[in-house]
Amino acid sequence: MTEEVGLCPPQGTVPRVSIEAEDGAVVAQGAPLARLRDAPDVCFVAPMASRVARVSLLQGHRLSEIVVFQEPGGDVISHDTSTADTEAGLRRLMQRAGLWPWLRRRPFGGMPDADERPAAVVVMATDTRPFAPDPRIALDGREEAFGRGLRALNLLTDEAPFLCQQPGPALIDSADRQRAHVVTIGARHPQGAAGLRIHALCPAGIDAPVWDIHAEDVAALGTLLETGQLPLTRLVSVGGSALRESRLVRTQAGADLRGLTYRSVLPGAHRLLSGSPLDGQAAHWLQPRDRQVTALPREPSRPTPHWLTAALTRSARSRPVIPSAALDQAFGGALPAAAFTRVLSAGDDETAMKMGVLCLLEEDCALADYVLGDDGHLRELLRGMLERIRTEFAA
Amino acid sequence: MTRGIWTRETVVVLLLVAYLPLALFWVWFGDIQELQRLALALLVLAIWQLVFLLARAQPVSLSAVITALAIAMLTPEGLGAFRLILGISFGAVMGELVFGGWGRNVVNPATVALSFLGFGFPGFTWPEILLPVAWAAIPAAAIGLMTGVMPAGVLLSAALGATIAVAIGVLPGFVLPAAGVVLVLLVADPVTSATTRLGRWLNGLLFLALVILFANAWHGAAPVQFAVAAALLTSLAAPVLDEVALALWYAQRWRRHGRH
Repeated sequence: MTEEVGLCPPQGTVPRVSIEAEDGAVVAQGAPLARLRDAPDVCFVAPMASRVARVSLLQGHRLSEIVVFQEPGGDVISHDTSTADTEAGLRRLMQRAGLWPWLRRRPFGGMPDADERPAAVVVMATDTRPFAPDPRIALDGREEAFGRGLRALNLLTDEAPFLCQQPGPALIDSADRQRAHVVTIGARHPQGAAGLRIHALCPAGIDAPVWDIHAEDVAALGTLLETGQLPLTRLVSVGGSALRESRLVRTQAGADLRGLTYRSVLPGAHRLLSGSPLDGQAAHWLQPRDRQVTALPREPSRPTPHWLTAALTRSARSRPVIPSAALDQAFGGALPAAAFTRVLSAGDDETAMKMGVLCLLEEDCALADYVLGDDGHLRELLRGMLERIRTEFAA
Repeated sequence: MTRGIWTRETVVVLLLVAYLPLALFWVWFGDIQELQRLALALLVLAIWQLVFLLARAQPVSLSAVITALAIAMLTPEGLGAFRLILGISFGAVMGELVFGGWGRNVVNPATVALSFLGFGFPGFTWPEILLPVAWAAIPAAAIGLMTGVMPAGVLLSAALGATIAVAIGVLPGFVLPAAGVVLVLLVADPVTSATTRLGRWLNGLLFLALVILFANAWHGAAPVQFAVAAALLTSLAAPVLDEVALALWYAQRWRRHGRH
């Protein structure tokens, strides 16, 4: 637990909210701090008993961040779970308890709309990114809650949820196995990338959104259904080459990254990323869906090259991507990597949609970007293409 | 941020490493004239790269060394400097540089230059590929495959197909050295060969089929001549092969999921 916590909206979104707790107010754990203006049931909740320190809103009541300080003692909000056996009741419970921001939809990413019905739900009980915590450790001792959460997810879709797990003992008992498609996948990144799994299992489309949720959050849903209280902590790995040692901690979403690392960081300048070294972003707070904190030494700024060297090596257009086995591996053989890269660079939206670009988000291209070194700009290209498709189809 | 190494120039350097055995054997068994051709090709390509750097701000690339090596090894003999400069310039400019440099080209510049020289100035003798040089193509392909810079499907399908074709007697043995070197130097180019898995296998098989066709039906042509012609036609057909492979993949996904 860190003393200070900053709540941010899910990455890539700036929702319009109405604030429920003013600066200085003392709130219980699980109490709503903000609600969506368009869907007042969807809440962002306090991760612990705390005092609201600062609410920053952007223009038009758009949420930037809410910072709270831990307050000793304090209550825990209990929710009424009596209507959770119907779809509408379960949705309302998940939204009010603050579990909704942990869901992510594809295409386009971000939190799903309050009344959206997914074509499929994919539960990720595996994370192959470097230094990622093993979900099996997070689920240890919570099998019953996990099974209950998984059964509840059946209410949200017509099709049973997909459960992606590593080889090993089954995570759910045999009675639950009819209610979920269990998919066993390898341990090498990017085999556990949610986008590539969705691309293979149940492609997302404009009218067929696919949600993904981490297995630990499903276990939290199970606990919520049983006790009425949502556990707001999660297993987070703190690692990276700027640390003396890496460790696993149990902390809240929105935890202060400096608070998590300052005891073990090596001397010298460093950068703190929320997320893995591949797709992490420099941040102050742990982002809503992230389960990794990475501390990397700050690279010394490169000396300015000689003007002639700069003229010979820099150009306005980026260099082309050369198809190689490394690029194919970076997409795990899930899609024709070189053809997809060319389509992305050319901005050919229609062919990209045929190839399944709607299943992918930035984090799925992160490994390819890493592999391609200075020539890799796939993430920006992908985001640009997704935004273009979104505006085109919204019109 | 820590970065991977697979930039364009890394691929070029690894390709150069792969071609090193081929180049060494070629220099060892060659004469001074061949080295002069290599130097001339390097000079002409460097000048054109500089021109496009200054005129179009296109970054230069070491891939010119590979192009120069392929041209020097496979070009007809006794052409003279002027024709050679003309052919190399045509190949480099129209085959590569106007498209935006190496990586954005549709056909291999060396293939274009060699075809231009072959069709434009008939009557000059095509070089003969010596056996030791042809054997050196095998380690070259092995390095390319191990580092992943050469398309595995192209090399494997052509090699497997050639084994079968020789066994059943449709591919005469005297073609093999030239076809092997052209396969490694011109066809197994990561940029201009097909990029999908099935497309690559089709690409290698198409090259082999064209070589077999020319070996049996194009009387009076030298092995290098029709291997280069086959390489040109293959690289022109590579996008179609990719389209075929992608169309099959779309159809398969459509059948399985009901949507793309």
